[in-house]
Amino acid sequence: MNEKEIITLAKQGDKEALSKLVNKYSERIYNLALRILRNREEAEDVLQETFITVLEKLHSFDGRSSFFTWLYRIATNASLMRLRKKKLVYQQISDDPDFQESVESRVFVDWSQDPSVSLFDKEMKLKLDAAINKLSDIYRSVFILRDIEGLSIKETSAILNITEENVKIRLRRARQYLRDILSDYFEERVVSKYVK
Amino acid sequence: MLNDHKKRIKEICDLMGEDFNAPSCREVLEHINQCPTCKVYYDTLKKTVLLCQENDCPEELPDEVNRRLMNLLNLRDFLNAPEK
Ligand SMILES: [Zn+2]
Repeated sequence: MNEKEIITLAKQGDKEALSKLVNKYSERIYNLALRILRNREEAEDVLQETFITVLEKLHSFDGRSSFFTWLYRIATNASLMRLRKKKLVYQQISDDPDFQESVESRVFVDWSQDPSVSLFDKEMKLKLDAAINKLSDIYRSVFILRDIEGLSIKETSAILNITEENVKIRLRRARQYLRDILSDYFEERVVSKYVK
Repeated sequence: MLNDHKKRIKEICDLMGEDFNAPSCREVLEHINQCPTCKVYYDTLKKTVLLCQENDCPEELPDEVNRRLMNLLNLRDFLNAPEK
């Protein structure tokens, strides 16, 4: 049975078909929520909310987008709603279109090849986690869907209901912000190594 | 010159993770290879994303979480391990 047939049956209330859909996607949805919220309990809440919504709205799913996109949209929205409620203090990423102004005033140090740059570096890991945590919802969602989950620009734009251009802009800013954080950390080390 | 970097850097970022063999990428790649500033930018940006990907560890759906979900959805008769 292909997914379309399973969905048709699930729409008619076939529990086995529905359970197939749940089993197929539950782990992915759980991980998506975990990536956005970084909290297991909240990820479980989102997982439950998502499939409750699927039960309620499956009859209105018209197949214009793929089931995956539709499901991911529900789960992403549920995650982002929770994230916004937490009202954390986020890093302000400038909305200035020339946000990369700092780029050329900055002396570039290439730390990418440095052998000490690795995840075994606990301090770096903490820095990275903290930096991702500081990304506000609009940047975090794009970065996670595109760079961590590996979805295409097109899929990301469909899930978030924003234009592809907007996905690209947000992605640029998120990547740039994370790169700057890591650069601040590594440049110092790499430079001090050669000055010694 | 500075403006050119700026433009390039935007392009580099957009192309990351895309197909670098596409003809539209060739020009940007050529620039990266000739321009030390953009090269460092590109390498460190790529490394940043790579580190984030490596730092990400997907988790298995805990049995308890799965059970609670299936109960909630009235699907406990079909409880089994999630498909991989
Ligand atoms: Zn350049």
